[in-house]
Amino acid sequence: MSTARRRAPDADEAPPEGAAQPPQATEASPGAATKVAIAAEHVGKRFGHVEALRDASLRAERGQIVALFGDNGAGKSTFLRILQGIHQPDAGRLVVDDQPVSMTSVRDAQALGVDTVHQDLSLAPDLSVVDNMFVGHEVLRRGPLGRMGVLDRREMTERTEAALRELSINLPSLTVPISDLSGGQRQAVAVARAVMWSSTAVLMDEPTAALGARQSELVCDLMRTVAGRGLGVVVVSHDLPRILAIADRVVILFRGRTALDVPAADLTVPDVVATMVGYGQEESAA
Amino acid sequence: MSTQTQAPPDGASSSVDTRAVAVRPLWLRVLTTRAAAILALDVVLFVVFAVQSGGPFASEANIQSLLLSATEALLLAVGLAMLLGAGIFDLSLGANLVLSSVVGAKLMLAVADRTPDGGYRNLSTVVAIGVVGCLVTGMLFGLVNGLLVAYLKINALIATLGTLGIGTGLAYVISGGADVGGLPTEIQSDFGLLTFGAVPVPAVVAVVITAGVFVCVRYTRFGSRTLAIGSSPSAAERVGIRVPRHLLRLAVLAGLLAGIASFIDLSHFISTSLNGHSNDALNAVTAAVIGGTLLEGGKVSVLGAVWGTGLAVILQGGLVIAGVSSYYQLMAVGVVLILAVGVDRFSHLRRART
Ligand SMILES: Nc1ncnc2c1ncn2[C@@H]1O[C@H](COP(=O)(O)OP(=O)(O)OP(=O)(O)O)[C@@H](O)[C@H]1O
Ligand SMILES: [Mg+2]
Repeated sequence: MSTARRRAPDADEAPPEGAAQPPQATEASPGAATKVAIAAEHVGKRFGHVEALRDASLRAERGQIVALFGDNGAGKSTFLRILQGIHQPDAGRLVVDDQPVSMTSVRDAQALGVDTVHQDLSLAPDLSVVDNMFVGHEVLRRGPLGRMGVLDRREMTERTEAALRELSINLPSLTVPISDLSGGQRQAVAVARAVMWSSTAVLMDEPTAALGARQSELVCDLMRTVAGRGLGVVVVSHDLPRILAIADRVVILFRGRTALDVPAADLTVPDVVATMVGYGQEESAA
Repeated sequence: MSTQTQAPPDGASSSVDTRAVAVRPLWLRVLTTRAAAILALDVVLFVVFAVQSGGPFASEANIQSLLLSATEALLLAVGLAMLLGAGIFDLSLGANLVLSSVVGAKLMLAVADRTPDGGYRNLSTVVAIGVVGCLVTGMLFGLVNGLLVAYLKINALIATLGTLGIGTGLAYVISGGADVGGLPTEIQSDFGLLTFGAVPVPAVVAVVITAGVFVCVRYTRFGSRTLAIGSSPSAAERVGIRVPRHLLRLAVLAGLLAGIASFIDLSHFISTSLNGHSNDALNAVTAAVIGGTLLEGGKVSVLGAVWGTGLAVILQGGLVIAGVSSYYQLMAVGVVLILAVGVDRFSHLRRART
């Protein structure tokens, strides 16, 4: 019995040469899974008077799913944006693929194989599904047309179809603008896009917020698949039971500080909630 | 175990969502676009003016003159449409045209080696310097706009309002306030008023450039990124597009188109026309917006800009033939612009609401 689900398009079908390729995922041998895919140590970040992060740490090894929980405003999105190179931390250090890094832009993170599903999805509403999947990583035609910047939309469409099939998303057409899709369909496109372009770590900020039960399960399956391929997965979610069931580690952020970082197996949903809320009581009592 | 009917349990790939509307055929989509509607309006207006004038409006000479006026307007409108697609604006394109033509003309006169009877010993050099002067000035003007808007983050409306004033003033300073004339008549006879069949050569140039821009918007990475930026600048930034650099390139491109238009202007009149371009910005915005390019960014209709330019030119030319004062022509274009933006707002709001 073979697994029915197809892998992401980048894994087995090598696109024709000359085409922009997603960075190749390292084939996960179990031994390689002990390496750090992405990590942050004692990160601090201030926005004017708001101290969004004070002492936030997190570590996702290759093959691991790390759940990042925390109350609204705890700093989860800020933390992910720092890991994606969008914001630069005021303090602390970042590690990607076992190397200490300093990222000054999104492009640095992309070059290291890190991609994100943003909480606001960050899709271009007027662009088609296909163009959104590939914006920033466009595939050009081969030959002189390609050198003049002409897009290979057929290739892009095929790879988009394959990526979306994995999430079992039915779209009326891949040429419709994103603004014509439902909220859940948009989220699926954002998830598929991030998975397509990550090769070291994929960061997901509320990837299932707009999804129905079946699609949420599929996104969880996809996270497992991606982790199984040797990537680190960091997922922010308020869907505690579902994410706790698939996570390897749980990191809880409380007012910009890492309050807890333990294996997921040691935790139950009430534990998590208690920490998210109770840590504050301890701290203010202290 | 039978292997024949293994429908996936979740029915994902088997059940087609029947509510998904089939994509309409291309010809139907083309016919129902804004561009097609404006083209129809162009034709109607043209026929109305032709009938009303009793012939002269549809004469070959008049059509050629309409095409010539449309040529410069089209280049500006197409450049502006690209900028609007990326969500930025430009009020200074007319000033750019004037300044570039003044610089080009002055340079031509400066390098001219005249014979006693008024001819040029170094005609090809003079013309080449003129072309380069016009194009480079146009690009530099665009570069300044781009730096102000993309890197200093000055609101595009304010920045280009500023450069509109600076550029116009500079053009008057350099020209000493009077039109620069006495350019080689060959640029007029061999280019400006030359016709290819019945079509003025400058119009052919503009059409070729417009076709290039059309391909760029529809089929290239540059076009796709332009629309991505106009659609959502923050999303474009987050997928790794160098937004300021892209905007700078766009501004230089629009400036280049204005520079090309400025040389066409010189070869049309063998002289600058300092006062002939005060409504260019108005016409360019009207043409682009009425053609379906969204002011909010994210959507460019190059074909719409072509027919929109046609509308502005036919309207003005028709009113001239009908003997209506130029003040009313200006008002007519203003009314059309407001109508166009009104329709634009309405359709945009309606789309956002659903
Ligand atoms: N760009 C910014 N400028 C100023 N303050 C910011 C900025 N980004 C985030 N903050 C502040 O940092 C804090 C953390 O915000 P963040 O979005 O990271 O929270 P979150 O944990 O993702 O919350 P939620 O669960 O609601 O998404 C908030 O107080 C927010 O106001
Ligand atoms: Mg958040």
